[in-house]
Amino acid sequence: MAFPLPRGITPTEIAFLAEMETVTVVPRQRLEGLELLGGPIEPLVPPRRASLPLWLALLLKRQRRANIMPPPWLHPEALSLLLEIESQHQDYKNAFSPPPRLPGQPSIRELQDGAMPVARPQYTRDGDKYYPAPPFLPQNVAQSTISRDEVPPLPFHWVEVGNMLLDAASDDLVDPDQVRRLLKDLREVRMAKMRSGVDVMDAAATGGGGVALTGVGAMEISEERGFLTGVVDGLRKIGASKEQARREQMAEQRANGGYNGTQDDEEEDYMEF
Amino acid sequence: MDIDDILASVDRGAGASAESTALDHQQLTRFWVAERAVSEVLPWPAPLMERVMDRVRLQIETIEDLAASSGEATPTATHNPNLNLRLSILQTDLARTQYIIRSLLRQRLSKLTKHSMHYLVQLASRSKNPLSQSQSQSQSQSQNPNMTPEDSIPDISTIDNISPLSEPEATFVHAHQTLLAGHYGGSFMGAFPRALRRLDDNAGGTSMVQGPEIKEVVFARCLGVEVPVIVGAEDGEEVGVTMRMGDVWVVRWEGIRGLGRGERLSYYDL
Repeated sequence: MAFPLPRGITPTEIAFLAEMETVTVVPRQRLEGLELLGGPIEPLVPPRRASLPLWLALLLKRQRRANIMPPPWLHPEALSLLLEIESQHQDYKNAFSPPPRLPGQPSIRELQDGAMPVARPQYTRDGDKYYPAPPFLPQNVAQSTISRDEVPPLPFHWVEVGNMLLDAASDDLVDPDQVRRLLKDLREVRMAKMRSGVDVMDAAATGGGGVALTGVGAMEISEERGFLTGVVDGLRKIGASKEQARREQMAEQRANGGYNGTQDDEEEDYMEF
Repeated sequence: MDIDDILASVDRGAGASAESTALDHQQLTRFWVAERAVSEVLPWPAPLMERVMDRVRLQIETIEDLAASSGEATPTATHNPNLNLRLSILQTDLARTQYIIRSLLRQRLSKLTKHSMHYLVQLASRSKNPLSQSQSQSQSQSQNPNMTPEDSIPDISTIDNISPLSEPEATFVHAHQTLLAGHYGGSFMGAFPRALRRLDDNAGGTSMVQGPEIKEVVFARCLGVEVPVIVGAEDGEEVGVTMRMGDVWVVRWEGIRGLGRGERLSYYDL
């Protein structure tokens, strides 16, 4: 047995991944910069803030060498606003609250003003395009200015980061007990949404279909992965003959279309390439 | 492609060492997550893995040097009180990277051993004309009176393009399958009629070679502006839903695997 774990990353691996998130710390002692395999880290000079990977921040915190600045969403006020959106807001009855924006992605308000998303790739050493994604986006760093009218969104690794900070750095958080309660409430509200999404899973079982889970968290995916993939695979097997028949029908139509070669069909073919 | 793209592509040439370490680490992490999530073996990113392994080697040397310097002289310890802290940070970082690499390789090995015949046949069929191959197979089958299961294993030693595998992986798969075939032959297949001893038998339209299930669903996040889900590339394309930037979808793996290597690695993570 080369590898005992099931496919799809497991909760412990997700926690491992979440530890790569960047957080802001206030160091309590000096430390020169280090060249790590995960990238260089800046020199620590108290009381200047520094951005570190979460695993390193926790390591320093446990040894009382630094304090962690809580991310803007991990605040009782922000969390209760988020809970209100998740449970009361009309638009998010059956959806998760919107995730943090990717670089180049306009906000909802900017979208209404007609702004277009622009993907800004970085280039790798091999010349491929690379778009950063969590845990390598600054979704958990402390912000100096929090805009009054915008609720800080829940990041992808919110469950893991929230729990790890509550465990190791609760004295750095504002009202940790309240935060813990709110995190639990949020989790329950969102779990109920995940469960109610079972109805639409048939869509993912058909050929080009899918189910949108925008705004979902990493741990929430992991919780549902086994169940969801199992159900969808079952549905796909049940619907396999139906899909095959539809494929054949489409192929037939295409062949017939080629025969009578109407203008429309040609245009359609052209559009495909 | 606009001016920013051109500038960025020029920029990456010179002195991007520190930045590229971070970028390579991010790519490795994404590759690991993807490899853990999908059912088939993903193309081996040889240049990336070479760089990562080189860095791991260098880092081990650095740590050994630091540890040696802390051990031999006590005055330096007072000179640099942070040495132990630095060492433990470096070692944690190294262990984390090694964990990713180990998990990645083991996941690939487990996929390879599960479907070893499938990957061998896939490699062999790409280099040869499938028609002539099946002819030569049937010929050798009729000529060779001592047909063993091992004979049905494609010879991949002469193949140049071994994507998606790395070289050691290709050698491993071949050796693994040869052992397995020998075992099958010795334990039960030797008792079969000659014509039934092939491991890649596909009489009656049912292939004996099982491959990974590419229709399974995966979780994908769209990082580009728009990515369409395309199903059934070989028998008439069918374009399904379109994912937009920032969306997370549950879609079939076959629907997004067709995106080119560079694009695919950049467009989703799972």
